[in-house]
Amino acid sequence: MITLQRLIRTLDTFWEKRGCMILQPYDMEMGAGTFHPGTFFGALGEKPWSVAYVQPSRRPTDGRYADNPLRMQKYYQYQVLIKPSPDNAQRLYLDSLRACGIVLEEHDVRFVQDDWESPTLGAWGLGWEVWLDSLEATQFTYFQQVGGIDLPLISCEITYGLERIAMFASGIRDIYKLPWNERTRYGEIHVPQERQGSAYNFEHANIPLYQELFDKHERESHSLIQAGLPLPAYEQLLKCSHSFNMLDARGAISQSDRPRFVLRIRTLAKRCAELYLEKREDDNPKSKI
Amino acid sequence: MTIQNPKSNIQHPQVADLLLEIGTEEIPAAYLDAAIAQLRDDVVRLLNDAHSAFKSAESFGTPRRLTLIIRALSLVQDNPPEEIRGPSKQACYDASGKPTGALLGFLKGRGGKLSQTKLVPTDKGDYVYLLKPARMVPTASVLPPLLIQLVSRLKFPKTMRWDASGFRFARPLRWLVCLYGNKPLAVSLGSLKSGKTTWVGGPKRPKAVHVSSVTSYLAGLKKAGIILDQRQRKARIEQLIRAAAKQVRGTIAPEAFSYGLLDEVANLVEQPVVMTGAFDRKYLDLPREVLLASMAKHQRVFAVQAGQALLPKFVAILDGKPRTIERIRQTFEHILNARLADSLLFWVDDCKRSIKEMANELAGVTFHERLGTMQDKANRLVQTSRALAQAWGLSAEESKQLERACLLAKADLVSRMVREFPTLQGVMGKHYARCADEVDAVALAIEEQYLPIGGKLPASLIGSALAILEKLDTLVLYFNIGIEPTGDEDPFGLRRAAQGIVEVAWKAQRPMPLAALLAACAASAGVQLPDKTKARIAHYLFERLYTFAWPKPAPSRDLIDAVLGARPDDLVDAMHRMHSLQRLDGGQTLLKAAKVVERTTNILKNAKVTQAEVDPARFQEPLEHELWRQYGFSKERISKLIDGKSYVEATSVYGDAFFDSLQEFFGKVIVNADDPAVRQNRLALMKAINLLYTERIADLSKLAILQSRSPASPQSAVTR
Repeated sequence: MITLQRLIRTLDTFWEKRGCMILQPYDMEMGAGTFHPGTFFGALGEKPWSVAYVQPSRRPTDGRYADNPLRMQKYYQYQVLIKPSPDNAQRLYLDSLRACGIVLEEHDVRFVQDDWESPTLGAWGLGWEVWLDSLEATQFTYFQQVGGIDLPLISCEITYGLERIAMFASGIRDIYKLPWNERTRYGEIHVPQERQGSAYNFEHANIPLYQELFDKHERESHSLIQAGLPLPAYEQLLKCSHSFNMLDARGAISQSDRPRFVLRIRTLAKRCAELYLEKREDDNPKSKI
Repeated sequence: MTIQNPKSNIQHPQVADLLLEIGTEEIPAAYLDAAIAQLRDDVVRLLNDAHSAFKSAESFGTPRRLTLIIRALSLVQDNPPEEIRGPSKQACYDASGKPTGALLGFLKGRGGKLSQTKLVPTDKGDYVYLLKPARMVPTASVLPPLLIQLVSRLKFPKTMRWDASGFRFARPLRWLVCLYGNKPLAVSLGSLKSGKTTWVGGPKRPKAVHVSSVTSYLAGLKKAGIILDQRQRKARIEQLIRAAAKQVRGTIAPEAFSYGLLDEVANLVEQPVVMTGAFDRKYLDLPREVLLASMAKHQRVFAVQAGQALLPKFVAILDGKPRTIERIRQTFEHILNARLADSLLFWVDDCKRSIKEMANELAGVTFHERLGTMQDKANRLVQTSRALAQAWGLSAEESKQLERACLLAKADLVSRMVREFPTLQGVMGKHYARCADEVDAVALAIEEQYLPIGGKLPASLIGSALAILEKLDTLVLYFNIGIEPTGDEDPFGLRRAAQGIVEVAWKAQRPMPLAALLAACAASAGVQLPDKTKARIAHYLFERLYTFAWPKPAPSRDLIDAVLGARPDDLVDAMHRMHSLQRLDGGQTLLKAAKVVERTTNILKNAKVTQAEVDPARFQEPLEHELWRQYGFSKERISKLIDGKSYVEATSVYGDAFFDSLQEFFGKVIVNADDPAVRQNRLALMKAINLLYTERIADLSKLAILQSRSPASPQSAVTR
């Protein structure tokens, strides 16, 4: 039986065997696994770096009160970042699907153009959405820039939608009926969370509070950058980003405000990335031994 | 794609076929056609530049490979003799007459010998020239750098790096095959080296295929089920989907062919396999465009209809034959149903408020950060519409409809559906307008405002008016803040807007008095538009006429120049003049009128005309009286013809009236008479005749037919 927890373990094992360090989810709200410092900072610089981890991802605007089998305001991404990108990255990815129990010969696998971009992180790359029988199951990207910085070593980022892979591997069409383990279904944990989360995001979230939070976290981030602390400054950026997403879900950001908010976050991302590269040497634990 | 080389008649005893295959990870479908064409065009140019003879050049592509096949490429190429200018004599030889480092360096760089040089006197003193004789070079030695240049310079909308080589391409290169005369030819690109192995089966089940010749290459792909030729692939897919639709007693919804879905799908697969599926009938309540957009955008599947109504079916193209199709179908259907459920949710949600209520939310949607919101824009359109309604002579009812359409035009931008499918802007507006029981002319106009798209023009009068207003407003506001298209740069789509105005106005065949319309646009925005800016906008619009897709006969460039020389204000009227006069091209009528204009223009060119009106009391000669009578009589007729836009007849009357009479006049009367009063009077008469045509129709003195044939320029004797 394919369970979500087994699937995670399978992917962990698969990527561990291929040299990835298995990190843990970051303990803050974020919109995607790309925001995890393991990817944002890991993709910078010339040092080879390979990681894999689960990252719970919050997309407040995607909530559907548990009524839609494909859209949720909180779900799980499985994120792999390999730097430098290996020549056989596509094949590795397909092998990982086989490891999850998907018989590729019985399916239509397509790499469909997707020019991935995160305007808030000043990051972009080229690659594909991977379609499994037209289900958009994975984002596959060769990073070109992060934090507005041209990358000297190109990373390959593979972002699986865990629920979708699980649905696909198990043939269970309703996400909420997916087994988390042998006894508990995904829906038992997530239906209340989706219903209440959607209601909170769309109806109850306190707009002035999030506006204030955005401003305050932004200020905090700037002063941490001043203090030469890119990692805490970046955590404040994550708070800004989440506040922005909440305001967006509440319809509190007009189309005209949007680019300004995005620019404010990107400014922080750029400074964090630059500062991280500057500070890297000082903070290298080996150099202190 | 094949190009037959015109030089192929050059006979070389020894030829061989060249095969180059660039193996890639999936190239975006939208890039592929252009890349295939570029590959062929560029190689033809490079080979010709290198004096390489060949029979034909063909290029093909799939998402995973770009292939070039040159047939009968000569094994040797004739490099013609070359003369290369080197440094000056002083720089080349020292005082004792020995060659300097400069000379030796030059020779080394160009691959020449001292014995091949000679001194050539120039206007700047003596220079050393290297004379390289004609020689035969083996093509195999020239090809690797040529092919590297070819591939490195392929242009894509976006390129990327993927490894330490820093090589840039649309997507990573993974293998290279290069054979010349069935022998491997070593070519390296980035970190890749060419070999004799191609890959089939896709990343899912990669299988190496050994290639020993062009024939074995093509056979190997065919055996793997790959259709290499993009045109064959597209034709095959079209055949497959039409047959599949027929099996479910329907036909493929025609939008797939007009909106590029078929083109895209053909470039998404190498081994097309067809599959039919169904979705829940309840989603047929969604507007047709939403269903089509959902199917095309999210799954790239084809909709099926019976008669005009969509069926709850779709046809998909898969890449490669799967072991079983049932599970794939189920997933496709499940996902489509989920997507449509989302669309239905948006649709129901959006329809909860009227389109008028949506329009009230436009204050939250920016038009441009310096140009206010979409609500401001809608309000401006309402105001400007009055000027257009007047120019077009719209009835009170039509004017009211146009105003309403302006007010609601942008409302759908706040809908969830348009936020999900931005290409449905306008289309959704139409549906929301219908939901809210707006008049159908208003609903239709909202949809048609964004036309022309893909050659489609508004069919309705109100739609045409809104389409023009919407674009004119954009043009005026951007020009007013100094944003104008330059060269290829046109981030705000202003060139397209201007082109659109011209196309819609011509189709509508209604007056377009630019001065009045631009003034109305400016007034609606509460800005003072400087005359200079007005002139620039008008000029920019008129400039589009040079590239406008005219119905035949298309006016020639000089004819457009001539009409614009008359400084027209009304865009459509100017277009009429151009189109009418073009029909006279090559005939005596136009030539006679042009000669009249030319002669009067010439005589006025260097004269200072101080007298405004002709004074018959000052005439000296009977011919003057005669010409003046002729003028008075013709003026009335011509003016009437012009008012009726009968430019062909007006031209004919003008030429007939003045061509012969002017010839006689010039033969017998000296315009530049000694008596200044007589002279001024005669010049005033010339000017009146000239302006009669050039002011109201066209300045025919600009026509190319008038250019006396310039003496043939002597052929340049200088060789390279």
